[in-house]
Amino acid sequence: MAPVRAAQAVGDAPAGRLDRRAPQRLVALLSRYREASIAAVAVVLVIYFQFGSGGQFLSASLLSVVLRDTGRLALVAAGEVMLMITGEIDLSVSGSFSIAPYMMVLMSIGWGVPLAVGALIGVALGVLVGFVNGIITVRLRIPSLITTVGTLFLLQGIVVSVYNSQPVIAPVQEPFNAIFGENLFQPPDRLLSWHGVTAFTPFLWAAAVMGVLALVLHRTTFGLHTIATGSNIIGAREIGVSTDRVKICNFMIAGGCAAFAGIINTAQFASADPQAGSPLLTLQAIAAAVIGGTSLLGGSGTVVGALIGAFVVATLNNGLVMVGAQATVSDIYLGLAIIAAMILSVQLDRFRTRRRR
Amino acid sequence: MSGDSMTPLRPDAPVVLEMSHISKTFGAVNALGDVSISLRQGEVLALVGDNGAGKSTLIKILSGFHHADSGSIRLKGEEIRFNSPRDARAKGIETVYQDLALIGDLSIYHNMFIGREQHRRVLWVNLLDNDRMRGLARSYLDTLGISIPDVNARVDMLSGGQRQCIAVARSIYSSPSILVLDEPLAALGVRESAHVLGLIQNLRRQRQVSVILIVHNYSQIFAVCDRINFLHAGEIVLDTPTSDTTEEELIRIVRSGLNSRAAGAAESGAEPAAGRE
Repeated sequence: MAPVRAAQAVGDAPAGRLDRRAPQRLVALLSRYREASIAAVAVVLVIYFQFGSGGQFLSASLLSVVLRDTGRLALVAAGEVMLMITGEIDLSVSGSFSIAPYMMVLMSIGWGVPLAVGALIGVALGVLVGFVNGIITVRLRIPSLITTVGTLFLLQGIVVSVYNSQPVIAPVQEPFNAIFGENLFQPPDRLLSWHGVTAFTPFLWAAAVMGVLALVLHRTTFGLHTIATGSNIIGAREIGVSTDRVKICNFMIAGGCAAFAGIINTAQFASADPQAGSPLLTLQAIAAAVIGGTSLLGGSGTVVGALIGAFVVATLNNGLVMVGAQATVSDIYLGLAIIAAMILSVQLDRFRTRRRR
Repeated sequence: MSGDSMTPLRPDAPVVLEMSHISKTFGAVNALGDVSISLRQGEVLALVGDNGAGKSTLIKILSGFHHADSGSIRLKGEEIRFNSPRDARAKGIETVYQDLALIGDLSIYHNMFIGREQHRRVLWVNLLDNDRMRGLARSYLDTLGISIPDVNARVDMLSGGQRQCIAVARSIYSSPSILVLDEPLAALGVRESAHVLGLIQNLRRQRQVSVILIVHNYSQIFAVCDRINFLHAGEIVLDTPTSDTTEEELIRIVRSGLNSRAAGAAESGAEPAAGRE
């Protein structure tokens, strides 16, 4: 039987027509490597703030703050990306971010539980919150947006009521604090010194967790099934993917990541603040994920992009102050950045669909 | 077309699949009344019927996607119960769904291997062996004579015909004992259809695969099928060997069958699917 020529060469342009198609190729490239386009935005921002602040932005003291914020946000965003790829969303991550370290510290003070054990229990609690979110969403068919708004208020309420809304001084136990966020950085320190490195602890942990999640997403069956679930849930079920299980697992990952981020945050500041994980943190994490190129509709997303997205959000938050803007103005730029990122994302998707037809 | 090369079904071919007294309702909709079908080894069975007759529901029960309200399924004499499509695939029943069940955001080779991924052990973890899957997918598609520009391409980028070829290729990759195809030719051109029908013929001749085929084009039915089951409003109303009937007669039976039942089934304006395409 003759071979079927069902195939039309995809993207095989004759060399002569290259010039006319150059803009299209650029868009195609951007749609394939979204991390690259958002990284370019990040570089532009850094250059702008560096000049606008008279060379203050790339100083050790400010970078240590930007990277600390990046790490905290990126950790929360990493789990959120996995979940968003399945087509669900978790707004309760800031609740897990608050309750996990609070529990760790209170158990340490009240019952003498070592911080390391308390941290494990805290992360387990975050995973459990994710599990409950997942069960309610998947089995009881409540949209995750609603489920997790409920658990967000629930967790926030518990944290606030447990200790009269008071921040608690966290005990310092070595080597726990040294490993999970101790910040020895003082302004005269150089960035490339041991004290400088300690300022990056949250960032390093975020990078490590994101490395693992990127590996899980692109190199494991679970990651493949995660993308399949968000891309075509009926098709995924038809081919035998347990989409319910995949979603619940990713809810658990999102909860666990947020709890871990909260614990690192507490280890760094040696204090557990019930207000540390305000709902704004959730929204900033989602913003980081979206700016980084993760679709709210599911099916596509990048963990590495979320790290760069978190850096962009942290840079906007801190850099605008450096160039003399009011602290409150940064939200305006963040808002514009999110909308711009969404427009870009939708346009790139539309471009992809047009190529198909 | 491959009609001339059609080999007759061996008269002693054993029954491999029996679906007995299957019924299924979705809420208030009675999708299947009391349907029984059987399939012999190496047999190609055509399932015909109007839109909404219950064809897709029936095969989705066989594929483990839906669960029957009542009735039983026996595979090679053994009663089976599928909790998920994975169970059915593990038992050698592969299905090409009408929607193809391809994942648009994944590459062709990932789609080929989803649900039966190839792994490579690195330290303590099982990682996807993408190189192996890529190579296997490429050579397998070559063997089938399906030319695809690049197995790394996302399925979103493919044309309807290409997608259908990938879905069919995926279903026969694991040498299933029963192959279920829900309108596998709908988006294919004349040559591609002939090619896929040829693949079906080969499978059945070389590996004694049994096939359930949902098609709307009656000349294709007569080209490859041994037997025809006509499903109407959730019931099998006709079960006949292809050799005992002709295309014209089948069209007439289907028309009259529809007309006689039109009043009861309230399917006014329903057109028989004959002669479309």
